[in-house]
Amino acid sequence: MNTFEALIALLIFPGGIFILFMGMAYEWADRKLVARFQNRVGPRWFQPLADNIKLLAKEEVVPAGVNAVLFTVLPVIALAGAMTAVLYVPMMGLEPAHSFSGDLIVTIYMLSLLTLCMGLAGANTLDRFSLMGATRTLTQLFSYEAPFLLALLGPALVAETWEIKAISHYAANHTWLLLTQPIGFLVALIGLMGKLELPPFDAPEAETEIVAGAMTEYSGRGLALFHLGKGVELVVGLTLVAGFYLGGIANPLLFFGKTLLLLVGLAGVQALLTRLRIDQTVGLWWRYGALLVLVQFLVLILWQGVM
Amino acid sequence: MTSNQLENFRIPIGPQHPALKEPGHFEFAVDGETVTDASVRLGYVHRGIEKGTEGRNYVQSMYLLERVCGICSHVHATAFALGVERLAKVEAPPRAQAIRVLVGELERIHSHMLWLGVAAHEAGFDLLFMYSWRDRETVMNLLENITGNRVNYSANLLGGVKCDITDQHEQEIRTGIDFLEERTAYYLDVVSNDAMFLRRTRGIGVMSPEAAEQLGVVGPTARASGVARDVRVDAPYAAYVDHPVNIVTETAGDLEARFKVRIKELFESYRLIRAILDNMPEGDLTTRMPRRVKPGETISRVEAPRGELFYYIKSNGTDTADRVKVRTPTLPNMGSVLALAVGHQFADMPMLLAGIDPCFSCNDRMVSINAPGGDTQQWTWEQLRQYGIEYYR
Repeated sequence: MNTFEALIALLIFPGGIFILFMGMAYEWADRKLVARFQNRVGPRWFQPLADNIKLLAKEEVVPAGVNAVLFTVLPVIALAGAMTAVLYVPMMGLEPAHSFSGDLIVTIYMLSLLTLCMGLAGANTLDRFSLMGATRTLTQLFSYEAPFLLALLGPALVAETWEIKAISHYAANHTWLLLTQPIGFLVALIGLMGKLELPPFDAPEAETEIVAGAMTEYSGRGLALFHLGKGVELVVGLTLVAGFYLGGIANPLLFFGKTLLLLVGLAGVQALLTRLRIDQTVGLWWRYGALLVLVQFLVLILWQGVM
Repeated sequence: MTSNQLENFRIPIGPQHPALKEPGHFEFAVDGETVTDASVRLGYVHRGIEKGTEGRNYVQSMYLLERVCGICSHVHATAFALGVERLAKVEAPPRAQAIRVLVGELERIHSHMLWLGVAAHEAGFDLLFMYSWRDRETVMNLLENITGNRVNYSANLLGGVKCDITDQHEQEIRTGIDFLEERTAYYLDVVSNDAMFLRRTRGIGVMSPEAAEQLGVVGPTARASGVARDVRVDAPYAAYVDHPVNIVTETAGDLEARFKVRIKELFESYRLIRAILDNMPEGDLTTRMPRRVKPGETISRVEAPRGELFYYIKSNGTDTADRVKVRTPTLPNMGSVLALAVGHQFADMPMLLAGIDPCFSCNDRMVSINAPGGDTQQWTWEQLRQYGIEYYR
């Protein structure tokens, strides 16, 4: 890959501008769907863009008592992490911009970076809502991360590779893994909701309890960057799950069809369920999520042995 | 962190907080997520309405008192009207009494639906919030059709009511009530069977009947703990004398019971409204009311959607009340929040708070405590006004 191509991949497609707009588009779709499910009108199509422009233009207030450098840098790292993950996934059904054996682990790590940064950003401030939110964010991270990772390793196991491109190819040429590994699919999808702190896993930013959780002290640029990062993570997460479990994504049409189908499911769950308390979230993941996915893992390993 | 520092980790809810639609200040000391201590400070929206009535005649006071609460304005007017009528030895005609109760029950429906939405929102169940508020529009429209206003209906007069129920109104009310009854059955099903929602309500904030008695809670909060206390039953007023109310109680005493009691009360309201429409007395809407009221004092109690509403009125022979004391149901219920908070998860606090259906601006009063040594401060109205101006300058 020469320098020019690398720059294109980083700044225009699939990283950079493209993914930022994709993130906002998917965020809008999510908000609109939830609104329609709740019998509301919902935002207009440019609302996320308008929100972000407004936030980026606002003065960023650095509260007293925080490490100013961390306060400014953490949102940047978070967004950078999420945007780096884009390079390894088959965005729009095209080949990933970059790929090597083991990039699945790197991608999952990059996605966790966002959550980690949010937790640190909350812990960095003196605000009591932020501290509470940071604790909850990190608690939640520890509860869904292992099951989510295991759920994505299921397809890797049957494809016998840890390279996203190869797993995606494998998924496209075999029976949909949704049918052979239903538990893994569910855990991956719900894990994605936990990762994005969507309802019912929105205890870390439960508005009626701790205002905005870890984000309470962020007002301008930082908040916009975190929001953008979440949008990017939503797209990447949906791409991974669709690519692995819904029979691969060979072209842009399939990509949009399958990811949006998943998004409709996510929005339905968001509208339907009551927020879980943080102790209930942890209980749910470790009592059911992790155990179920481990059982499936065992079955897969035994199956591989038999074959 | 030492234990002392842990005790000092206090999370404020309010005066400005997304969970509260009105200002009030709660502080919860937490150990991790568990609440170890709770305190409350009220009084951010003291408006001096009781004092305001002393400078206005009865007709004007009625207008003012209706604005004590934005949600249950009609019961305030009813309580005041009933009290003043008793002092003046005047009785409103039966048709007026029936319309008072009819509007009161419609208001209860509106208030309980509103509460259902708010409480569901506190639990993060926005679907129920949006749905119940959408359906609440039905009853708001009915009230607007009858009285001309969506809130602060101003249906009452001293000695009667302003608005009549025509045949068209009756038809509209029946249609609206039928629709709402169907929706309410659905909501009852949701709050008693939705597994995820029950995880946030079942067994949370359990208040035993003994505790309820001891804390002196009123209204649906008390009835959810098995305390059968309802002014409409204990001391029927207006048309409740002819249309007895079946009291709704639950025994569990937790948040789920508070949801169920309020929703089941809606069915009782629908039944009452139909009964009143079936037996609407004919006759005048108002009777003659003297401008001056003979000296005397009275207590007027009515059942607001949130519980017992208490009015003490003292007249002095002029057209102005000597003293009007209002005790709204939030005040006795507030203590239960603090008593129940300790030991619960912090995440349950907004729901526990919403569980009593608090109305802060209704209950804010100015209290002056005189030290035993006689350190009394007496301020004139003018001084107090000046202090207020200086304070906010």
